[in-house]
Amino acid sequence: MATRAAPSRRAKGDSRHEGFLQHAGFRWLKIATVLCLVIIASYVMIDVTPRHNGGSWYGYTLGTIGVLLILWLTALGLRKRTMTTGRWSLKAWTSAHVYLGLSLIVIGTLHTGFQLGWNVHTLAWALMMLVIVSGLFGIGVYAAVPAALSDNRDEMTQGQMLDAIRAIDRQLHDAAQPLPHDQADLVRRSLDQDPFSGGLLRRLSGNYPQCATAQAQAALRAWTGSRPDTGNDPLERIDGLLERKQAMLSRLRKHLRLKALLEIWLYVHVPATFALIAALVAHIVSVFFYW
Amino acid sequence: MSFLIRQISHTADGREIVRTATLAKPQLSVGRAAGSDIHLPDLSVTPDHARIEQIDGRRVTVRATGTLGFSVDGRTVTRADIDAVEGAELRFGGHRITVSHGAGDEIILSVQRVDALSDASEDKDEARVFSLGGLLPGRRAMAWSLALSILVGFLLVPIISYATRPAADMRNIYTVKGERQAQMQKAALAKGDGVVGDASWSSGPLSRAHHALEGQCESCHVKAFVAVQDSACQTCHSPAEVHDHAPAARIAMAREAPGLGGRILAGFASAFGRPPAGACVDCHSEHEGAGPMQPTAQQFCTDCHASLDSRLKDTKLGNAGDFGTAHPQFKAAVLTQAPVAGMPHPAFTRISLDRKPTSDGGLKFPHDVHLKKTGGVARMARTLRAEQGYGDALACKDCHRPTADGVRFLPVDMEQDCQSCHSLGFESIGGTVRTLRHGEPAQVIADLRAYYRSTGPVRPIALGGMARRLPGDYAAGRTAATYMQAARTRPADAEAAIRAVFSKGGACYDCHVVTPPGVAGKAGWQIAPVEQPMRYFVNGWFDHAAHRTETCESCHAAPRSAKASDLLLPGVNSCRECHGGEKAKADVPSACALCHSYHAGDGAPWVPAGTIRDKTVNKVIALSGASVGEASVGMRRNR
Repeated sequence: MATRAAPSRRAKGDSRHEGFLQHAGFRWLKIATVLCLVIIASYVMIDVTPRHNGGSWYGYTLGTIGVLLILWLTALGLRKRTMTTGRWSLKAWTSAHVYLGLSLIVIGTLHTGFQLGWNVHTLAWALMMLVIVSGLFGIGVYAAVPAALSDNRDEMTQGQMLDAIRAIDRQLHDAAQPLPHDQADLVRRSLDQDPFSGGLLRRLSGNYPQCATAQAQAALRAWTGSRPDTGNDPLERIDGLLERKQAMLSRLRKHLRLKALLEIWLYVHVPATFALIAALVAHIVSVFFYW
Repeated sequence: MSFLIRQISHTADGREIVRTATLAKPQLSVGRAAGSDIHLPDLSVTPDHARIEQIDGRRVTVRATGTLGFSVDGRTVTRADIDAVEGAELRFGGHRITVSHGAGDEIILSVQRVDALSDASEDKDEARVFSLGGLLPGRRAMAWSLALSILVGFLLVPIISYATRPAADMRNIYTVKGERQAQMQKAALAKGDGVVGDASWSSGPLSRAHHALEGQCESCHVKAFVAVQDSACQTCHSPAEVHDHAPAARIAMAREAPGLGGRILAGFASAFGRPPAGACVDCHSEHEGAGPMQPTAQQFCTDCHASLDSRLKDTKLGNAGDFGTAHPQFKAAVLTQAPVAGMPHPAFTRISLDRKPTSDGGLKFPHDVHLKKTGGVARMARTLRAEQGYGDALACKDCHRPTADGVRFLPVDMEQDCQSCHSLGFESIGGTVRTLRHGEPAQVIADLRAYYRSTGPVRPIALGGMARRLPGDYAAGRTAATYMQAARTRPADAEAAIRAVFSKGGACYDCHVVTPPGVAGKAGWQIAPVEQPMRYFVNGWFDHAAHRTETCESCHAAPRSAKASDLLLPGVNSCRECHGGEKAKADVPSACALCHSYHAGDGAPWVPAGTIRDKTVNKVIALSGASVGEASVGMRRNR
C-alpha cells in the first residue's frame, strides 16, 4: 500500500514567519500613514490665527489625540505580559504600537505648531521624541542583531560559554602550578578577572583594553619568544591555554555586546516613557492652571 | 611536638571530605611547590611561601620566607606568633589555615580552599551577568525617579509656590490715589517673581509691550484654572482709555452665529471657564514670541463685518470682508451746510465717493489753472522762482503744507500760500506796500475809506495863501470852486473802490463768495466763511507720510479740476492699486487694522511695528531717510 503524504493542515502561507512589522500586510503602517496624511493636510488647510499652536482648538484636538495615543502605546507594557493570538493578538498590538508610535512624530510636532522653547511643554515633546527614537533603534536592533547573535553563539548556550571558560581556567590553574611566582601571578590575574567586568561602554563597544588574559599572554610571550619550543615547557602549554581562553572570551564578549544592544534601548524607552507621562501631566495641568 | 594537618575539601554536592595527616616535625613549610609540607595549589602562593614553627606545646611562629606575607585574622603580616589554644585563622591566597590546639600538645592545622580557583568559576547568576542588569540602574527605578523628579520640579514646586505666594495688589492703577502710589504699584507688578518655577510653564516669550511682566505669570493668570479675564488687563489698561468699539448689545447682535464647529468650541470654552467672545485675549494673543505683539487678524473684524447687514438690519456701514475684494467705497465727510446764523458749526455728511459729492467750502479756486505748465500762473511762478523757490510751474507743495506729523495737510493760508502772487497791496508809501487786511472785510472797508479821506486833492497854487479875496477875482473863484468840489466828492470815490474790491473783478470776489449789502438782511458786504476740512475719513485713517513714494497727482486729480468744490479724494480702487486684503498678493497686503482701529480713538489705528514688511514700505522708509526704528515708532504713534 502506497503511502500518501498527509494533507497539510496549515493554511497556505501559515508556515512562513511573519514579523510584527509585516503583520497583516502592513495594515497598521497603512493606517498610520493615512492618519499622518490626514493630520498634515488638515494642519495646512485649517487656518488658525494668529498661527498654529497648541492652544488653538486644532492644537487641543491634536494634543488630545496625542495623549490618548501615548497612554495606549504605554499599555503595551501591560499587554505584552499576556500573549494571545487572533485579531487582537500581541503581534497585532506590537505592530500597531510601532506604526502608531511613529505617527506621533507628526501628531506631537504639529501639536506644538513648531513653537519650541525651554519649558515643560517642549520637555514633553523632547521626551516623546526620545521615546520614539529609542523605539526606532530597538526595531533596528531587533531586525539585525538576532541573526548575528545566533551566528556568534555557534549553538552554544550561555551556560556552555561560561563552562568553557571555567574549564580553561582549571587547566590554566593546574598548568601554572610549577611556575615561579611572577609568571604565576600573570596567570592568576587572568583567572581573577571577571569575564563580565567592564562598564556599559565596554559592554556596548566590545572593546576591552584592560583584558588580563591578553596582557598575560603578551607578557608570557616575551619570555617564550626567544626560547626554542622544547615541547615540555609549561609556558608553551599555558600560552596555548591563554590563546583558547582569549578566543572564548571574545566570543563571550561579542555575545554580551549583541545582547546589550538588544537590551539597551529599553533602558531608554521605558524610563523615558514614564518621564514623558509625568511631563505630560505637568504640561496639561500647567496649561490649564495658567489658562 | 607534632602537627595534625586536616585537608578539607568539598564534593560537587557540597559534602565535606577531610583527610588528616600527622607530621611529627617542629617546623613545616607552606607553599605551592609540590614538596611543601602543606601544599597549597594556589597561584597566589609562592612555591616556598612560609614556615610554621612550633615553639612549645601551645605556641607557634609563622614566618613568611619571601616578601609576600599572609594574613592573620584579617591583618596582613610577614611574621606572627600564635597561641594555638586561643586559635587563629591564617590566610594564604585563596586558602585558609585554621590553627587550633589538640589533645597532647598537638597543633591542628585545618587547610581549606575558600576562594574559587578563578573568578569565572565562582557562582554566577546567569540571567544577571549576561544582561545589562548589573551595569545600569533598574528600568523601574529610573522610570520612577525620572517621573517623580519631573512631577516635583515642574508641577509640585510651582503649585506650592503659587498657593503660598503673597497676595497681589490687583487694584486698577488708575484708581489708586496719587501718581506716586500708582507708579509704585506698577513697578511692583513687574518686580520679582512671586511664584517659583512657573517660568517653565510659559509657552513662549511675551511681546515687547508686556516684556516687563515676563515671569510674573500670576499678574495676568490671576486665578488657577481660570482663563485670563479682562479685569487682569484692566489692572494697567484703564477701561476709560480703551474705547468701546460699539455698544455691547450691538456687537453681540452683529456677531455671526457660530456654525456647528463654532458651537462645539464655544461649548468647550464655556465648560472650561474661558471668557465669552469679545474678551481682550480673543484678539490680543500673548506668548507668541518676543518682539511686537501679533497683529490683529483680519478675520477678527470680518467675522462680523463681512455680512453685517444680514444681522444688523439698521446698520449704516457697508459690508467689508477684505480690502482687496470686498470693501465699500469710501464715504467722505462732506460739508453740506455752511455755518449760518443760529448754527455756528458747519454740518458734515458722510457721502460715498461713488456719488461724486462736491464740497463747497466757500472758495473759488481752479486747480487746473494753477497747476498748468504753461500760461500766466507758470510764468508768474518762474518770475518768483528766486524769491519763493517755485519751479517751472506751481506744484502742490507750493501751497499745501503738511502737518508736523506728516499725516495730513494744514489748511491753505492766504498770507503764506497765496499772497506771493495774489497781493492785496493798494498803496506804496516810501517803498512799503500797504495791503488790505485779509479775512477782515470791515477793516478793508475802513482802510479804503481812510485812504480816500486822508489824501485830499492837491491844493491849486493859484489859490495862494490866505489872502483876502478881492472882487473880480473870478479865476481864483473858479479854481476854488473846482477844488472844493473835488474835496467834497472825494469820499464818494472810496465807496466806489470798496464796491470794486468786493465785486466781480475785485480782489475779494475772485476767490470768495461775496454777499452785497442788503441781501439776507445784512447791511455790509459779507464774505462766506471758508471751510477747509483736514480730515475726510472719520472711521478710517490715512497717513500721507506713509505714502511719500507716490506723487500727489497719482491719487488726487487736481490738474484736471476747474472748481474748488471738486472733491479730489481718491476712491477705494485707487488704493487697491497697491493695497490688497490680508492674504492678497498685492504690494501691500493690508488687514483691516492698517486703517481701522477696533478701539477707535482720535489717533492712528494700532499696528504692531514691523508687521508691514514689504518692498513698498522699505522703499518708503528709504526715501523718507528714516531708520526702520523711527518708522516703526511712527506707525505706533497713537498709543
